[in-house]
Amino acid sequence: MDHANSGPSSWPELADVVPVPQDDGPSPVVPIAYRDGFREVMDYFRALYFAGEQSPRALRLTTEAIEQNPGNYTVWHFRRRILEALDSDLLEEMNFVEKIAECNPKNYQIWHHKRWLAEKLGPDIANKEHGFTMKILATDTKNYHAWSHRQWVLQALGGWETELQYCNKLLEEDIFNNSAWNQRFFVITRSPLFGGLKVMHDAEVDYTIEAILGNPQNESPWRYLKGLYKGENNCLVADERISGVCLKVLKNDWTCVFALSLLLDLLRDGLQPSDELKAILEPVRSSDPETADADLAITVCCILQKCDPLRVNYWSWFKTTLSQISDPLVVSG
Amino acid sequence: MGKPGFERAHHVAFFDAMATELPGDYDKQEVNHLTLSYFALGGLSLLRELDRVNKDEIARWVLSFQVHPEAHTDVDSGLFYGFCGSRSTQFPLSNVKDPCHNGSHLASTYSALAILKIVGYDLANVDSKALLQSMKKLQQPDGSFMPIHIGAETDLRFVYCAAAICSMLDDWTGMDKLKAKEYILNCQSYDGGFGMVPGSESHGGGTFCAVAALHLMGFIQVDLASNLNDSASIDMRMLLEWCLQRQVNDGGFQGRRNKASDTCYAFWVGGVLKIIGAYHLIDRCALREFLLTCQSPYGGFTKFPFDRIPDIYHSYYGLAALSLLEEEGLEPLSVELGILSSAL
Repeated sequence: MDHANSGPSSWPELADVVPVPQDDGPSPVVPIAYRDGFREVMDYFRALYFAGEQSPRALRLTTEAIEQNPGNYTVWHFRRRILEALDSDLLEEMNFVEKIAECNPKNYQIWHHKRWLAEKLGPDIANKEHGFTMKILATDTKNYHAWSHRQWVLQALGGWETELQYCNKLLEEDIFNNSAWNQRFFVITRSPLFGGLKVMHDAEVDYTIEAILGNPQNESPWRYLKGLYKGENNCLVADERISGVCLKVLKNDWTCVFALSLLLDLLRDGLQPSDELKAILEPVRSSDPETADADLAITVCCILQKCDPLRVNYWSWFKTTLSQISDPLVVSG
Repeated sequence: MGKPGFERAHHVAFFDAMATELPGDYDKQEVNHLTLSYFALGGLSLLRELDRVNKDEIARWVLSFQVHPEAHTDVDSGLFYGFCGSRSTQFPLSNVKDPCHNGSHLASTYSALAILKIVGYDLANVDSKALLQSMKKLQQPDGSFMPIHIGAETDLRFVYCAAAICSMLDDWTGMDKLKAKEYILNCQSYDGGFGMVPGSESHGGGTFCAVAALHLMGFIQVDLASNLNDSASIDMRMLLEWCLQRQVNDGGFQGRRNKASDTCYAFWVGGVLKIIGAYHLIDRCALREFLLTCQSPYGGFTKFPFDRIPDIYHSYYGLAALSLLEEEGLEPLSVELGILSSAL
């Protein structure tokens, strides 16, 4: 009841405005059971929008409409025109949009409005923006909107100085946080402060291997490690740290799917397995008549078929691709 | 307690109720009214229950959202002549002083055309010339699309919408395919999946938009072997692995690594695998069991297993995912367009 009474029809400043009801057009299909408040605000909005009225009361009405329906991009658009016409304080507007965003952290229009404001306010606002996304990410570390906004601010307005530290902190809190791993890749490859992946490569490989050894069942660092080689499989095979980490993990647990899968990639791309590696897989190999005579890549596929039953079809298929391509490799090896 | 079966009758009742009236909770999504309707009607069509609605009335209603240029309007002015998403974003031309009033939106335009296809309306009757010509203006220099001419986020979702619109209208003058492809390639992440924008985290929905758009534009083949040999310069091997790794122990698909599985990704990620010819590599039984545990006791589907309250979005994608699994009693789906195969 209170809600209905506090709607725009009770605002003295709108007493002279005649609301324009929605034209529902031909018999509505899949109608939405609107609440009264929603219709009322939109009827008043329509009246001021049609009149093109860029005034403080129109601004206040857009606030009300946004609270009812934060996804209405026309309302946001009209609000931006009013803000420009009134030469409004954009920092104050930023506070407003942040309050709305905290209640609707996954709404595209709100984040777009925030970006529009940040663009106008320029590089001075960068750190404040980073503070805000940090706040949102503190309650939901994987909020896609917040991460997108953060990456945009970094690229458009800056604030790279502490970004790697931030990634470190998030990964210390939760090493399984794939969004933080992705952000790390973003920083390493795009920050103007580091000189790119080439410069950072070695240190990153070490960091990632440490993360893998701490939690071999965490897929994120395994994929990140491969990503650091950007499809340059020769380098991946040639870097002994890579086969080394597979070996270390498999020594403790020869069923680790991620280690087996990376090892398989290495073998497919020409890795000559060390005696130590062969020794680890030997007991498995000889115990299974299917793999007793097979080359090591086939053996690893067979192990994966058993250890990763959800993807048994994939590993079976993978095995058929090996027999198609591995022959010339066997000859050359 | 036995394993749950596919509760077809419950789903029919749920979608029938949704198509009759969406509950008030959906008013926050009112701007996406056409898309919500697409879910409700698409659900009924998958269940082969479209006779419950009046198809002509639906077509008339959908067409009433299209914005047409006035007689002497310059179609190249930058305004988009597509479909508005809802009545609250639609403003009659003559009434508005704002020259930018036109609220038509790419996602709503996709939904409108998809609904029209589903109810059997001949799209040759849609005024597509202004639509496509003005849509091209939404494409950005980097190849991405803005969904609406007044400015909004640009990402893979709208590249997909543009490609699906061109495909449904059978006219590709509405976009620069090579530019769009370039943008899509920039979104492939270091792990093989696609983020919504270049640099962002691989995501099931983004990956679907990327791969489905590439397929619609003719850059992806239908069989896995050809795709691995010649794959529009995306890393197909890593994409395949990324997708298959999204199926997790409960049988469902997650949208991002190390997150919980969720009904809708059975469609988004499963759909990518279907498109690239690798759907046979998943564990179908485990996925089906997962999806059945996401059925709400009230009909429809929930986001996560054993929740109770369904929503229209997850309900539609739950059915769509089961259609990909060829569940008995469900129509086959053209996965890349999100409409019945028989509606093509």
